[in-house]
Amino acid sequence: MSDLNIAMSWLGGLAIAAPLALVLFLGIASLLDRRLTESATTKAIRAAIGIGLLACLGVLVLMLISGKRHVVVVLGRWVETEDFHVTVKFVFDRLSVPFALLSFVLSGTIASFAERYMHREAGYNRFFVLYAVFLLGMIVASLSGTIETLFLGWELVGLSSALLVAFYQERLGPARNGLWIWSVYRVSDAALLLAAVVLHHMTGRGDFHRLLGEAAWPEGQASATGTEAFVVGLLLLIAAAGKSGLIPFCGWLPRAMEGPTPSSAVFYGALSVHLGAFLLLRVSPLIDCSPALGAVLVVLGLATAGLAYLIGRVQTDIKAILSFASLSQVGVIVAEIGLGFRYLALVHLLGHACLRTLQFIRAPSLLHDYHGLENALGKHLTHAPPPFLRWAKPDTLARIYRFAFERAYLDSFLLTCFVLPFVRVFRRCDELERAWTGWLQGNRSGAEDESKTPSLGMEEVT
Amino acid sequence: MSPFGVRQRDTSFHRPNPSQTTDHSRSESLQEAIERAAHLLPSQGPITVFIHHNTLHAFEDMPFVDAVKQGAELFGCQPYLTEDRFRQELVRGRIRFGDLWEVLRDDLKEAAEEKIVDLCSRLNLRLAMLQSPLRTGPTEELVWFVAETDALRRIRAGVASTVREPLIAETRRWFLRDLRYNGKSGGDPPFASMLRGIFDRLDESKVENWSEAEWEEFTLRALWATCCRGVAGVPSFAPRTSEPIRHRDWLLAATGADADWLVNDEFIRFCAAFVDQGLTRWRLPRRDEGFFAAFSTLYRQKSGPSQSWRRTLRAELCRLKQEKTGPLDSIRESLDMLGVDETERYDYLAATLLALRGWAGMIRQMELRGDRVAHAAPQGSLVEYVAARLILERCVLTETARQAMAFSGPLRELRDAARKRLGPPSPPAVEPRAFLVFQLAQLLGWTPERLARMGAEEWTELLREIESFSEWERRRIFHRAYEKHFYDRALDTLALHAAEPARGAAPPRFQAVFCIDEREESLRRHLEEAANDVETESVAGFFHMAMYYRGATDAAFIPVCPVVIRPQHWVAEQATADCRDEFERRTRARRLLGSMAHRVHDATLAFFVGAFLTLSLGVLASLPLVARILSPRWTARLRERFGGWVRTPPRTRLRLERGDAPPGPEDRGWGFSEQEMSDRAEQLLRDMGVTARFSRLVLLIGHGSESLNNPYNSAYNCGACGGASGGPNARAMASILNAPGVRRRLEERGLVVPNDTLFVAGCHNTCNDSIEFFDLDRLPESHRQDFEAARRDLATACERNAHERCRRFLSAPLSLTLSEAQRHVEARSEDLAQPRPECGHATDALCIVGRRLATRGLFLDRRAFLASYDPTQDDEDASVLTRVLRAVLPVCAGINLEYYFSYVDNRGWGSGTKLPHNISALLGVMDGAASDLRTGLPWQMVEIHEPIRLLNIIETTPEVMLGILERDETIGRLCRNGWVHLALLHPRTRRVSVYRDGRFHLHEPRTRSLPRAASSLAWYRGWRDHLDFARIEPIERET
Repeated sequence: MSDLNIAMSWLGGLAIAAPLALVLFLGIASLLDRRLTESATTKAIRAAIGIGLLACLGVLVLMLISGKRHVVVVLGRWVETEDFHVTVKFVFDRLSVPFALLSFVLSGTIASFAERYMHREAGYNRFFVLYAVFLLGMIVASLSGTIETLFLGWELVGLSSALLVAFYQERLGPARNGLWIWSVYRVSDAALLLAAVVLHHMTGRGDFHRLLGEAAWPEGQASATGTEAFVVGLLLLIAAAGKSGLIPFCGWLPRAMEGPTPSSAVFYGALSVHLGAFLLLRVSPLIDCSPALGAVLVVLGLATAGLAYLIGRVQTDIKAILSFASLSQVGVIVAEIGLGFRYLALVHLLGHACLRTLQFIRAPSLLHDYHGLENALGKHLTHAPPPFLRWAKPDTLARIYRFAFERAYLDSFLLTCFVLPFVRVFRRCDELERAWTGWLQGNRSGAEDESKTPSLGMEEVT
Repeated sequence: MSPFGVRQRDTSFHRPNPSQTTDHSRSESLQEAIERAAHLLPSQGPITVFIHHNTLHAFEDMPFVDAVKQGAELFGCQPYLTEDRFRQELVRGRIRFGDLWEVLRDDLKEAAEEKIVDLCSRLNLRLAMLQSPLRTGPTEELVWFVAETDALRRIRAGVASTVREPLIAETRRWFLRDLRYNGKSGGDPPFASMLRGIFDRLDESKVENWSEAEWEEFTLRALWATCCRGVAGVPSFAPRTSEPIRHRDWLLAATGADADWLVNDEFIRFCAAFVDQGLTRWRLPRRDEGFFAAFSTLYRQKSGPSQSWRRTLRAELCRLKQEKTGPLDSIRESLDMLGVDETERYDYLAATLLALRGWAGMIRQMELRGDRVAHAAPQGSLVEYVAARLILERCVLTETARQAMAFSGPLRELRDAARKRLGPPSPPAVEPRAFLVFQLAQLLGWTPERLARMGAEEWTELLREIESFSEWERRRIFHRAYEKHFYDRALDTLALHAAEPARGAAPPRFQAVFCIDEREESLRRHLEEAANDVETESVAGFFHMAMYYRGATDAAFIPVCPVVIRPQHWVAEQATADCRDEFERRTRARRLLGSMAHRVHDATLAFFVGAFLTLSLGVLASLPLVARILSPRWTARLRERFGGWVRTPPRTRLRLERGDAPPGPEDRGWGFSEQEMSDRAEQLLRDMGVTARFSRLVLLIGHGSESLNNPYNSAYNCGACGGASGGPNARAMASILNAPGVRRRLEERGLVVPNDTLFVAGCHNTCNDSIEFFDLDRLPESHRQDFEAARRDLATACERNAHERCRRFLSAPLSLTLSEAQRHVEARSEDLAQPRPECGHATDALCIVGRRLATRGLFLDRRAFLASYDPTQDDEDASVLTRVLRAVLPVCAGINLEYYFSYVDNRGWGSGTKLPHNISALLGVMDGAASDLRTGLPWQMVEIHEPIRLLNIIETTPEVMLGILERDETIGRLCRNGWVHLALLHPRTRRVSVYRDGRFHLHEPRTRSLPRAASSLAWYRGWRDHLDFARIEPIERET
């Protein structure tokens, strides 16, 4: 039996080492300005994904053979004091293994897609370096056994996502939208970090099993009180909402469609958008402790689903349509988690990711498909308000249409209620500082500097 | 100067009379102004029927050179390749120095030898400016460059030692002679100060012992100081950049805040909702009532917690609604509020339209050609568009100006306020200009002494000379030299090939007629190589069958003919009587599957049903996902096999014969009368000059292209069929030519088609290089063997063609065998991940109209449109040639010019890289999440193109051609204004002459012989770049 355990540990380590090696290989080559050929990059990626996928499958097979449902790989205890522990630890269980497998399969497929799609594109190398970082982030986040490890993966995913959105950096749109997404991600990161601090405060270490009980997922019994669970859960929910585009962050997903089609497809449409739901699944025993938390989840999930559905109905470009369709399903998944249907949510998540990836990469075929569809049906396609709104009067319909058309004003809301006041406060501070230093220097140079800084209109942050 | 260079164009469109001032006529002229400005918008229609056209179509009545300049200024794009790129081509040998010299001489004519301030001739000055890259940049950069690099220590690289040594020696002599000993006391004070600056760095006391390097530095420093002193105070001669006109541009220049960001963001979404052809599930409310009504309805709704401009907009729209202001009145009001007066109104409206030119252009297209879209736009939509845009702009400008520069006055004062904030324009900086002269002085060996003696007038002359040969001028010269090299080679090739006696043509075993498309050039060549006893001809790919066509499984009729023709006939494909039941069954199955697929797809976008579906079937989606990406060709076959039972039934016919009913889209109006059929058949045969020597088998082969995940698929189809496949046209024509009644009528008109001649139609898929034949069940036994042999030859030709195409694909190894190449192109057409299914028309550069004999056996590198035309069979008025040129020349010119512009500025004229494209409204593509609708071609389509204008070589006499240029307005305009080049191959003397300045000049070949190769394969093998033309001479088979 112990041989089996060792084998599982090694295989588990390999599953994480493979993407890490890929990042190092591509990243170091780029840092040294040794531009790899397209075929070398491709081979490295195939090797890394192949090894990672096989290792993951190996762990799964061994787990099935041994009947063990919870395999832990510890890569060192980095900080260990009396009441503070930071461990890098990975867990293979019924939640993480399917999610890691999904990441490998979809990323591998998309890599194969992208190697042809990105052929000869300026930025080929940059794309695949970011791709490797993204993959590593996904694997680390899905297999993590402690909240710090999860945060590490979470950050890698966020960073690479924002940079991939701004892939066409020479145009203004991608840069602005990349910045928008980066800002939303930072809010979500901050919430996750706070949750980590609270968790440490509660249990002294960030290990999930401390909080969620020793039993393998999903049977854990959380040891927290209702209030504790609610506070931690709420912080985690904010983190998840940012990452998964739940209300009020729905606006970032369509903005993410600036990069090349494959990255939009797999990263935002399928993987990264589910990371929030995955986080909630990971801590789902916590929800059992606090029915209020569950209720919040259900309400938020269903509201997001409904809103995204409504907004999706009025979108006029294929990528935005698919983004809102994605959000709507993610909302349903979150609601399922809130209701305690964990396996259901997991299966839903896996299925949705596969289906949406397929739809996303076929997006450029849309004209072909529609033409085929019209030929098969023998008529032009029709469109009408959603069925449940058929009763409404034209005026009411127009009002609802406007609401959906403006994407429920969520971005405007964030902008006017948070971003602009935030910017204004800091700009005021900046002015004060200039005035202050100018006064200290006894001259008017501060004022001179000020006139040189371009004045910022609000469109800069939209 | 008119802003954006728009106003110069006024003469070409009808400018309203400014004396009309009554209210009614004012509203009319406003409408006219918008109408006129609308000509500037891109004329690309829906992407599903992609028609190649000249990107600068609106400027065709101007000479090319002027048009690209104006167009470039107006649209903010590049007119030619960059100067750096041209210099690379010069280094690479693609541009010859000799050509550059000749072009420049030709351009300057007598002015070439004029002396510039006695320094050098104008020709030499310009040549130096062309050959060597001259560094220029902002003042700060140059100051840094001079201070921190070797610029003042070492004479720049690339200066010949015959220039360099005298430059240093003479300066040294000058210093020792005039300045050090003689000039010190009574010398020019400026020299003294100049020298002081230099001696801060070099030790004057040791001047006798200075090394070569120190003298070099001294020379350069003296030169630099002289130049700086000389250029100071000379007015600028650089072409002035025009002032912006829109408030947004002023605000942007003054504060960096871009009001268009908000306006466009909102407007893009609204336009998309308005023009949508069925992608969105929920239609814009009151869309059918027009743009303005829908806009007003939508934005009058209460908005949520949001920016104040939305509230202003709502209030504004409510007011307009209450006052019952129409779109035109609203535009007038907006212009008043913005302070735009009558004189600048047209320019302002044009600039407003061009702010989102893709969307505005699409709305105009939907207004003009309602027959090409499912949901047309009502007349007047563009005016309403302008009205809505101006209202929105006013609201956003007010808010942006308030935030960015605390401006709260009326908008009509905004431009002045911004101008005031910007301050007056600064005079030209000294350093950038001095640095230009400084570099040229080194290249041309102008000594500091010589320059120092120049007076203010001479400096003015020198700078005028240098600055008037601006970057655009240099690029124009480069471009001509770039073209000339290719043209000379092409003309030489044809002159030499045509001069040789024609090979004795054996009676052809079969004839094959292709489209004029340059992609068929290689297929024809390979066919003739593989089967020496075969002849090929070509004709515009719609085979004179202009019609609306509906396939057996299609939902609607589509036009299959050049875009300028509106078809008058309808043709449908129907299942044969014995297949009717089968057909019905398949239609039902298809409909069932279609509606199921539609429902499922729709449901995945919804939430409750979607949740159920993704839960139950989602994971299964990974199977097609992985399979299609990892093995596209294999999955394609699988789909083929399973899709078979819902596809077109095995035996179908085109309904071609019409009864007595007039032609129309209903059942009884389908088809042609026998008279109409024979007219078309006769025209086809006479145009090609195929009127005798018919083979037993004549193949008519149209072409189309099939690829996946490619919004631009239509652009790869047959241009002469309006972006559709030419298969149905070929099929219809073959049936017509086989009809006994038609043959009889042809005979009456003196066109005898032998009884045993059979026409068979096919369609060449240019993406996967396969040929599908039609109506084979009607093939008589007598011809079966001939046909099978022909089919084998064509299959061989296709395979070789695929191999030749593969040399252009970087992802296809050069070592591919023939069959591997065929598999490679097949996989390409089935691959979801392939952004370059084929190269399309890229590299097209020639159009040869004449007998195949003139080009047979030439390797033309897939760069030539070839149209068959026999001058010996034409009548006195050249009516056949006129007809052929009318069909061929504008289409080929359109293709060529679209590729030209999309290549030279892919982000400006073209649609940029394809990878982030996002299909919007089923009409076009945007970049990423939201952008202007992108028109033109994506980079992946044009990247191997060579941007040169089309050279037409026509087999006829100068007299005939001049007559046609005179008579036909379109052709005359294109040729006279230099949008295409024109040359002739004399039918009898076989001499080549070139059209220049309204006359034809004889062309003297520069070489005496053509390179030869045993086969096309031997000539192109192992080479990816463009190839020289060559003669292919197959090794004669021993018999």
